[in-house]
Amino acid sequence: MHLTYLEAIRQGIWEEMERDPTVFCIGEDIGIYGGAFKVTDGFIDRFGPERVIDTPIAESAIVGAAFGAALTGMRPVAEFQFMDFIGCAFNQITNMVAKAHYRWGAPAPLVVRGPSGGNVHGGPFHSQNPEMYFVHTPGLKVVCPATAYDAKGLIKSAIRDNNPVIFFEHKYLYRRIKDDVPADDYIVPLGEARVARAGHDLSIITYAAMVHVALEAAEQLSKEGIELEVLDLRTLSPLDRQAIAETVRRTNKVMILHEDVRTGGIAGEITAIINEEAFDSLDGPILRLTALDTPVPFAPPQEEFFLPKVSDVIRETRKLLAY
Amino acid sequence: MAKKHKPKAKHSGSNHRPHSAPKGRAASATRTYSILDYRLEKPSFHLRQVRDGDTVRYEVTGTLDGAVPPIRDSKYLSKQQCIEIYRWMLLNRKMEAALENLYKQGKVVGGVYFGLGQEACSCASAYALKPDEWLGPMIRNQGSLLVRGFSPRDIMMQYMAKAGSPTKGRDASSHFGDLQQKNVVAPISTLGDLIPVLAGVALGARLQGKNIAVMTYIGDGGQSTGVTYEGLNFAAVQNLGLVLFVENNLWGYSTPADMQFRVEDLAERAIAYGIPGVIADGTDACQIYDAAHEACERARRGEGPTLIEAKMMRMKGHAIHDAAEYVPKPLFEYWKKRDPIARFDNYLVNVKKWLTRAEHEKLVAEVDAQLEADREFAVASPMPKPETAAGGTCCEPGCHDIKPKYGVPKVRTEKVSSARRAQAALHLK
Repeated sequence: MHLTYLEAIRQGIWEEMERDPTVFCIGEDIGIYGGAFKVTDGFIDRFGPERVIDTPIAESAIVGAAFGAALTGMRPVAEFQFMDFIGCAFNQITNMVAKAHYRWGAPAPLVVRGPSGGNVHGGPFHSQNPEMYFVHTPGLKVVCPATAYDAKGLIKSAIRDNNPVIFFEHKYLYRRIKDDVPADDYIVPLGEARVARAGHDLSIITYAAMVHVALEAAEQLSKEGIELEVLDLRTLSPLDRQAIAETVRRTNKVMILHEDVRTGGIAGEITAIINEEAFDSLDGPILRLTALDTPVPFAPPQEEFFLPKVSDVIRETRKLLAY
Repeated sequence: MAKKHKPKAKHSGSNHRPHSAPKGRAASATRTYSILDYRLEKPSFHLRQVRDGDTVRYEVTGTLDGAVPPIRDSKYLSKQQCIEIYRWMLLNRKMEAALENLYKQGKVVGGVYFGLGQEACSCASAYALKPDEWLGPMIRNQGSLLVRGFSPRDIMMQYMAKAGSPTKGRDASSHFGDLQQKNVVAPISTLGDLIPVLAGVALGARLQGKNIAVMTYIGDGGQSTGVTYEGLNFAAVQNLGLVLFVENNLWGYSTPADMQFRVEDLAERAIAYGIPGVIADGTDACQIYDAAHEACERARRGEGPTLIEAKMMRMKGHAIHDAAEYVPKPLFEYWKKRDPIARFDNYLVNVKKWLTRAEHEKLVAEVDAQLEADREFAVASPMPKPETAAGGTCCEPGCHDIKPKYGVPKVRTEKVSSARRAQAALHLK
C-alpha cells in the first residue's frame, strides 16, 4: 500500500494493538479527537476508551503512569503532543524510567512517541530536536525514522522491545512523503542503520528529514559524476557502529548532517566513533553540517537560515572532496 | 490507667460535599467542605523564623502541654494483628538503631535515614495491603519494606553497598523494589515521582480486569513538588485506587511545614482533587491501620483514591549527619511523649492486657535475635566486584519475560481480514 509516513505509523501502532492486548495508548487528545496530528484517528472507536486514554495536561503523570502500567506487564505507547514538551517529563524519563533496569532489574517496555523537528514555521516550542538529551541517558533507546516503511517497522519493534524507547517522528515528513508499505506484519530492527543510497566518493551520515536533503543533494551531484553514499542511522541509541565504520571504509570521506543544533548534536559522538573504529580509512577531516546553536526561530527566512539546506550540503561536499 | 472508651469517628457531614442551606433561607454564597479527622487530640503548632539577638532561629507557638491521648481502638484489627504490627514496629526501630551503630563503626557507605517516631505510620499502613497489591515506599518507610517481606539484612546490605543487596550494590538505602512477589516499586531521590507511577500500576491492573489498592507516601516537604499534583490529579480523574499517605512530620530537612504550605492541614488538599481526605494520628498504629484499611477497601471497590494525612514528627534530623538543632526543644518534648512504640506497648500490655510482661520480653528477645542474625550476615557479606558496575542498563533478549501480572486483558476479538484491517487503520473515507 502507498502510505504517508504518518499513516504508516498509525498502521504500525494499530497492528500492535490488534496483535497484543497489553498494548495501549495514553496521551493528550488522542481519543475522540484522534491526536493533534491524527495519528490515533479511529483508535478509540476500534479499541475503546480503556485502551486509548486521554489524560490531563500532565506530562510527568503521563510518563509516570505509563511506567507504572509497564511494571504490571502492560506495553504503553505514550504520546507527546509535541516532543518539545518532553522537558516536562524529563525527570520521570531520565531518573525513574531509564535507571529502573540497572538499579532494580525492572524492565520498562514503554514507548514515548511524538512529533519533533522543524521546517514547518513552528517556532521554538514546536520544532525542536530534543533527541540528544535521551541519547545521553543510559538505559533508553532513541529512534528517528526517515521513511514511511521504516516508520512502521520501527514503531512495531519499539513496542515489542522490553526497553523504554523514545520515538521521534519528524513532523515535516508526516504528510510529505509516501512509500510502499506492506500491509502485513514486518519489523525493522532497532540499532541498525540503512544505506539509503550506495556511493563511493563521500558518505553523508544522517537521519530523519535530513536524509531527504542528503538524497536530493546526491541526485544533483550525480549529474556531475559524483556519487554520494547516504547512511540513514534510523536508531540514534544504540548507534550502529559497524555501519558507520563500513561506510567510512568505502568512501574515506565523511560528512555528518543533522537538523539538531551543532553543540552536543550526535555529529560529535559519531566523529568520536569514527576516530575509534576507522581512523586509518579517513582521507580528510570529518565535516559536520548542522543547525545553528540557537533555539529554532519562527520567521521563515530565519528558519531557512537556521536549517541545513541542499545547497549547504553541495557546497560542503565539494570542499571535502577537494581536500 | 487509661479509661476504656469507644470514640466516635469525628466528622461533620459527608466528606467534601458542600452543605445545603437550612430550609427557608436563601442559599449561602459560600460552600463548606469537611474532612474526616480520626484524632483524639487536635494540636495546632506553628513555626516561624524569629530574630534572637544576633541569630535567627525557629520559634514554636501552640499548645504543647496537652495530655497524651489513649490509643484509639481499631474497628478492624484483631489482637493477633495488633501484636503483629507492634512486632513490625519494633523490628523497624531496632533495625534503624543497628544501622546507626553500623554507621558509627564505619561500615555504612554514605548516610543513614531514620523513620524514628514514624514507625506506626510505616508499618500499620503497609499492613493493610494484600500481597498482590503494590507499595511505593519513601526513604523513611523502611518499616513498610519489612511488612512487605524484605528483611533487615536486605536493608542493611543496601546501606553497606554489598554485592548481595537487592540492587547488587547499585543503589542505596530504600531505593529498591521487587516486581515478582513483593510488588514494591523502587523510589528515586526526587520527591513525588512515585505518585504517578503507583497510579499507573493501578491503571495497569485495571486494564487487566482488577481493581487493586496501591499505596505510596509523600512528606509535608515532598508534596510541594509539581509531580505530586500531576500524579494525584491523574489518579483522581481516572478513578484509580491510589492510597496516598501524606506524612506530615513537620520538617522537610530544615524547613518547617509552615514554610511549605499555607493550609492548616494537608488533608484539606483532598478537596482540591475531588477525593476523600482523612486526618489520622501518625503515632497511633490503630488509627493509621483503620484509615489505610478503609481507603484500600474503597480502592478495591473501584471508588478511587484517598488522601490520608498522618500527623507526627520526625524525631531525628534529615539524615544521620543532621543533629536537627533547629528544632525547638519544646516540640521534641511534646512528640517524645507520643512515641508510637511506647504508646502501643502500653496499649497492648497495660490497657488491653493482650501481652503479659513475659510475653512482651519474649517478643523483644525474638526481634533482637532476628536482627543480630541479619546484622552478622550483612556485615560478613562481600562487597561487589568492581566490574559489576558495567552492564545491565538494557533488558537484553532472554533477560526478562514480560507477562501481564493479573491476566491477559480482555479486549474486543472480532476477526478482521488483513486488508480490511489495513483499510480501517487508514480510515479511507
